Amino acid sequence: MTRKIISIDLSRIVVSCTLIAFLIFVVLPSFYLISYVFLRWDEVWYEVFANPIIGDENWRQIIKILLFSFRLSLSTVAFDLAFGIPLAYVLARKKFPGKSLLEDLVTLPLVIPTSGFGFATLITWTSSSGLGGLFGSAGLISMNTAIPLINVPFVLFIVHVALTFPYVVRTVETKIQSIEETYEIASRTLGASSLTTFRRILLPLSMPGVFSGAVLAFARSLGETGATLIVSGVSTTASIAIVRWASEFKLSTAAFMGSLLVLIAWMIILPAEIYVSKRRRFSRRQLRIPISLSMKIVKFERFLSRKLSMVKDIVPLIIVVTVVVIPIAVVISSVTLYWSADPYTGRIEGGVIYQLFGPSRYFSLIINATLTSVIAAFISTYIAMCISIPLSFIIERRRYGRILRTILKVPMIIPTSSLGLSVLLLWGPSGLGLVDSGIWMIILTHIVFSVPVIVESIIAAYEGSGVQMYEETARTLGANAYSAIEAVSLPLIKGGILTGFILSFTHSLGETGATLIVMGRDATIPVLVVNMVEALAIPAALFTSTYLIILSLIMLAIIRILTRR
Amino acid sequence: MPLIELVNVTKRFGKIVALNCINLSVEDGEYLCVLGPTGAGKTTLLRLIAGLIEPDEGEIYIGGRKVNGIPPEKRNAVYMFQNYALFPHMDVWENVSFGPTIREWEPRRINDVTSEILEMVRLGERKDAYPHELSGGMQQRVALARGIAAGARILLLDEPFGALDARLRVNLRTQLRSLVKDQGLTAIHVTHDQEEALMVADRIAILREGRIEQVGSPQEIYTNPKSIFVMSFVGGANFLEGIVSKVNKFGSEIKLRGGLCIRVSDQSRDVGERVVVAVRREHISLGKSRRRGFNNLLGEIEDAMFVGGSMEYVVKLENDMVLFSRILLEGSSKPLRRGEIVIVSFHPRECRVFGYPKRGLLREIEAI
Repeated sequence: MTRKIISIDLSRIVVSCTLIAFLIFVVLPSFYLISYVFLRWDEVWYEVFANPIIGDENWRQIIKILLFSFRLSLSTVAFDLAFGIPLAYVLARKKFPGKSLLEDLVTLPLVIPTSGFGFATLITWTSSSGLGGLFGSAGLISMNTAIPLINVPFVLFIVHVALTFPYVVRTVETKIQSIEETYEIASRTLGASSLTTFRRILLPLSMPGVFSGAVLAFARSLGETGATLIVSGVSTTASIAIVRWASEFKLSTAAFMGSLLVLIAWMIILPAEIYVSKRRRFSRRQLRIPISLSMKIVKFERFLSRKLSMVKDIVPLIIVVTVVVIPIAVVISSVTLYWSADPYTGRIEGGVIYQLFGPSRYFSLIINATLTSVIAAFISTYIAMCISIPLSFIIERRRYGRILRTILKVPMIIPTSSLGLSVLLLWGPSGLGLVDSGIWMIILTHIVFSVPVIVESIIAAYEGSGVQMYEETARTLGANAYSAIEAVSLPLIKGGILTGFILSFTHSLGETGATLIVMGRDATIPVLVVNMVEALAIPAALFTSTYLIILSLIMLAIIRILTRR
Repeated sequence: MPLIELVNVTKRFGKIVALNCINLSVEDGEYLCVLGPTGAGKTTLLRLIAGLIEPDEGEIYIGGRKVNGIPPEKRNAVYMFQNYALFPHMDVWENVSFGPTIREWEPRRINDVTSEILEMVRLGERKDAYPHELSGGMQQRVALARGIAAGARILLLDEPFGALDARLRVNLRTQLRSLVKDQGLTAIHVTHDQEEALMVADRIAILREGRIEQVGSPQEIYTNPKSIFVMSFVGGANFLEGIVSKVNKFGSEIKLRGGLCIRVSDQSRDVGERVVVAVRREHISLGKSRRRGFNNLLGEIEDAMFVGGSMEYVVKLENDMVLFSRILLEGSSKPLRRGEIVIVSFHPRECRVFGYPKRGLLREIEAI
């Protein structure tokens, strides 16, 4: 009897400790920004709307920046959907040589530190060592060349597509894989062309996946900082504005903008969550199209299916190669070009070696930054693991788990610069005053977005391996609740835990937006790349980007090996 | 004293009543099959006994001890899932020694017990294999060995052959039963396959919509079904609606649709009562001449199907009622052809009479 009482108490302690840690380290920072704006509304009002000198200039700035950000994000998502869904279909349904390589290439931007990747794209399109070199010009286009119609700089658009593409492709791919192929076969044998089948059968069924992929991509694009800082040129996105204002100590304006972004993120995710959970009811109400028109559409689709089957396979491939592979190749080749001296002027001051070991001593900076990055990534991932493992079990087993999981979506879609600002205001000198800017605050920030990443991958492993059944069997074989988890459940989801660890580690290693705000004097590697680009130390930036990309490629390889098992 | 006893057990999930006031007892060493259609509450019953869920009302006793609120690990009842749930990350040895290890026996004893049990199920040589490297039959033996090693007295088998193909299934049935019997274990085996239940069980409990319809030996269930549902679920039968028109000391007469009359030996019904007469397929014979003492009706063969060793005929009576008849093929006898006119005979003794069900006949039969 006493043992039973002890075990019940123990479970209560574990659950409540986990929930408290979750609340303090994850939920509080995610929501603090909004309450900050409310608590200091006077200050915000004064600075944003009623400044005695510039009036509501800041407010007009915010509106302008937000509109630009939205234009960028929406067009990015539209492009992602147009080309990502066909690619997802191909990846989910077809078998072909090099498929896993293609999957890796699509996923790559998720693990590559964005500032390094942004720099690679910038070099590729605008400098003579990139694509421009092939055509003998200094650069294919300038940094600020805009795409007509949507009026968004081309390079910025390309970077955002590359960074958000994986969200759409992987989410939709997973969804399509979960749909039985029998529906498609039935539709084809009933006489529908492949395109009609796709439109009438597969697309409606995979709508929840399309939706959540689009939401993730939109949120990512809205909050992207690292690469955007490097390629944005004269244009300013919302997340960059937060970084700038925070560094100019216009905290109220930054906080106001940040909480606007958080609210927008909420407004997007809540309806999406509701839609996804009630998908059945929604999908039945379809638009009625007159028979004659729908027959015309079907006929047209039959024609297209025959003519265009190759196009849908090849176009997404070209896009992936253009936005992901070429920049990486260019940045690596440029490092070798610039290794000893600037290849065009021949001056050794323009070479990688001089910049690294010369008077500017970038090498020691890189070493220091690596140390900071690795320590921060390690500690934050470790703490996040301690919260995530019990939290995943709570999410799977308790009735309120669904709510916790929805809350966890927030740090995933909050623009990282808002998050950084939130952490700074909460823990920093102007808030609780517990931590100063620096590595500890970096760690606190990284914990916030590491927990959701780890939890998601543990849950995927949990649901994929039938843990519940094995654990129940272990219980009837004589294991008590704790030894069943220890001996059966944890080993079963080991793969998921390890994947989560590496994903979170990589994420932390490559994070820029939040880190810029909270780092104080302890720079991490991706931030260093931004600093180098701003100081126009191009060869050093080239080297550091390559270094970062290779680091993350190694990480990706490790993930591959772990998940393939 | 029975080993397992359920007294007035009720379990609800939200508004759905999964089990409604179940009373059931299982003797030590007995092999009980719980038979019922999908959604009858069979799995819930097993999970309750295992302790994976708790009843809302009623008591469960194992070995005379009330086990309500006692966690699964203290009940000595091993739950076996459809695919046996062998731990995929452990080899055969680790799987079988799981119970003793987790109970922290001393290493020597664990070793001895594990190897002894592995020898017993003839798997001593495969002890280093992982579950996915074993055949379905071997996996079943490992699962059983694991249960025995954990000191189980009770095996709870949840559709143990559900995932296997038909031939293997038949082989494993007999293997499982003899292993259970050899070890003196008590087994509760849940299935929706009536043939399986009839073959392996000492006793069968028929479960329907959360209630127990009938408990009895396989013969009892087959020859003396208590309800239309049991009769149609186990073995199947022809069901004819009619009204009792005469009762005397030899039996009663029942008027069917279209003025046809049949005699049955049952005398317990009242004149004018609406009833259902049930006759098993194999009790209906088809011939060219009338048989004395039998019910003889005129019919036309609508369809004939060869079912391996016997023929199954669909016969339409004069009043458009349709009967099924199963007739063993013997020696040179030639099967009947479609369209042939035959005399349909069945003995009054083979007719079972049930009161007309409140919710209609179709509902009782089609609930399967």
